[in-house]
Amino acid sequence: MEAKFNNRDPVYVQVIQHFKEQIAKGYFEPGQEIPSRRELANKLKINPNTAQRAYKEMEEQGLIFTEGNLPSRITKDDKLLKRVREELILEAVDTFVHSVRSINVPLSEVLGLVKDQYEKEMKE
Amino acid sequence: MIEVKNVTKKFGRKNVLKGVSFTAEKGEITCLIGINGVGKTTIMKAIMALTPIDGGEILIDGEKIRKESYEKITFIPDTITMPPSMKIKDAFLFMADFYGGWNQLRANELLQFFRLNENDRISELSKGNTAKVNLLLGLSLDVDYILMDEPFSGIDIFSREQIAEVFTSHLIEDRGVIITTHEINDIEHLIDKAVLIDNGVVLREFNTEEVREQEGKSVIDVMREVYKG
Amino acid sequence: MNRFLKLVHFEFQRFLKLYLVLMGVIILLQFVGVILESQNYLSRVNEHIYKDLMPKEQFIEQFGTYSFLQIAHSFWFMGPIVLSIAALMIYVFFIWYRDWLGKNTFIYRLFMLPTSRLNVYFAKAVVILLFIFGLLAVQLLLIPIENRVLQWMVPNEYFNMLSINEITNIDYLSILYPPTFMEFILYYGGGMIAVFIAFTAILFERSFRLKGIIYGILYTGLSSVIFIAPILINQLLLEDYFFPLEIFFMEVVMGLIVLAGTIWTAHYLLKNKIRV
Repeated sequence: MEAKFNNRDPVYVQVIQHFKEQIAKGYFEPGQEIPSRRELANKLKINPNTAQRAYKEMEEQGLIFTEGNLPSRITKDDKLLKRVREELILEAVDTFVHSVRSINVPLSEVLGLVKDQYEKEMKE
Repeated sequence: MIEVKNVTKKFGRKNVLKGVSFTAEKGEITCLIGINGVGKTTIMKAIMALTPIDGGEILIDGEKIRKESYEKITFIPDTITMPPSMKIKDAFLFMADFYGGWNQLRANELLQFFRLNENDRISELSKGNTAKVNLLLGLSLDVDYILMDEPFSGIDIFSREQIAEVFTSHLIEDRGVIITTHEINDIEHLIDKAVLIDNGVVLREFNTEEVREQEGKSVIDVMREVYKG
Repeated sequence: MNRFLKLVHFEFQRFLKLYLVLMGVIILLQFVGVILESQNYLSRVNEHIYKDLMPKEQFIEQFGTYSFLQIAHSFWFMGPIVLSIAALMIYVFFIWYRDWLGKNTFIYRLFMLPTSRLNVYFAKAVVILLFIFGLLAVQLLLIPIENRVLQWMVPNEYFNMLSINEITNIDYLSILYPPTFMEFILYYGGGMIAVFIAFTAILFERSFRLKGIIYGILYTGLSSVIFIAPILINQLLLEDYFFPLEIFFMEVVMGLIVLAGTIWTAHYLLKNKIRV
């Protein structure tokens, strides 16, 4: 789990984003154990307090859960996981549409380009 | 919590500290940032009563420093704190002899981690390895607060990575750390609080994540702002 | 107390090697001296008696017999003593400055130990005193042995066997080995206090650097004047009014006052003014 964080966005937010991406990409299985906050801090080279904050937020958002003294795990809630995936896709779409809208292109052409690029990357 | 309250200090006629105030909490990593000579080392020495102050006061967990405090707080300066003729294992014996909080297991762990040999003589070590021994001696004490003066200076990049590794490990956990450095790039994402010092005063003291969240700025952004204006 | 003893042990170990070398040099030089000096005398004996055919009695009348007195005044015997005094005087300062200068910044550690800084001060003082007494003891042990060796080297007719008492009565040796209790207290007590005063002067310098040297010198001067005040007043103002015993007691009191003052000053400097 290698990640590069920028120094302008709160690191804990970036950590949560990173987790969401890992989940959406399927690197994290539902119910999978995740590293302790200290192990995470060490792996990502971040401040342990930041790791703590990220875990707290993720727990509140339902992304992870902790049973008693056992290590925390990724949620098994299918609905939530689906929502995370959708969220990320929507974010990407949002960014794309936003950057492409200023260039005056008809939607059909844009969609065609997207399809081509998608298929191209599938082959690689 | 370490509280530095309105500390002033003169060196001869030069007014180095003109009323420095900040706090450092236990469980957090606080970084003093400022140009060379601004007085960061002086502040650390003052906290450790290794140099007297002219005014203000410094409290550690609410009280002034006394001899027992040295079991609670330690200082890792940028110079070796053992006689150069000593071997590393002799230094261990010395520390174990005088400090109730000396943790030999942790010392051995760090010795391995830094790839040092206990039979090495301190005077024969390279600059990087001397810095590591210094760190080792400080980190192997079960203290609440650790002060580190330029832990990264003069060490090659791989050693620096080792040291950064130390910061994110159990060795630092739950302790209050104050460090000074100019290598802010290496550690920006590791620190909880930044204290910007210039001209004998604290220009800005802030929590790094808060500023990222509320102002969208990195520590370096804030530094640029504060030192320009 | 425990940490204090550990500090004493530590400081002791640091100097031990050099100290033993010093002792070795003393023993070597003094024994060489006994041999060479006595041979010198004997060759003079030979020259006059066998070459010039001077009768024995005349030689003895003219040149005297040989005894430890000559040894005690020889370079081979006095040299090592002077060397030791010089070495110890240097170490009084070096024992502090060694931890501050050059690559050695051990003073950081000494002042960050969870023990009173005054313990560091006392430990260094105790070790200096131990070394001084050690040398004095060794020298005292050497004297009868050297005397015996001398006796072997010089034929009986020319040799005058001095007792230990007589030997230690020889001018400078009577200061090192005082014959009376009062002198012992005065010299050794005074010497001890001098070490403490030197230490405090060093602390002045380390606290205030350049200005500190002046403070240190002034402090030493003031302490010395206070210490010998009873003697001065008695001789200059009161024209020898007091009995020696009374002066002695006044001196003891003064010494204790100066000692207390010096230690208090050191404590103040170590706590509030010293800087690494």
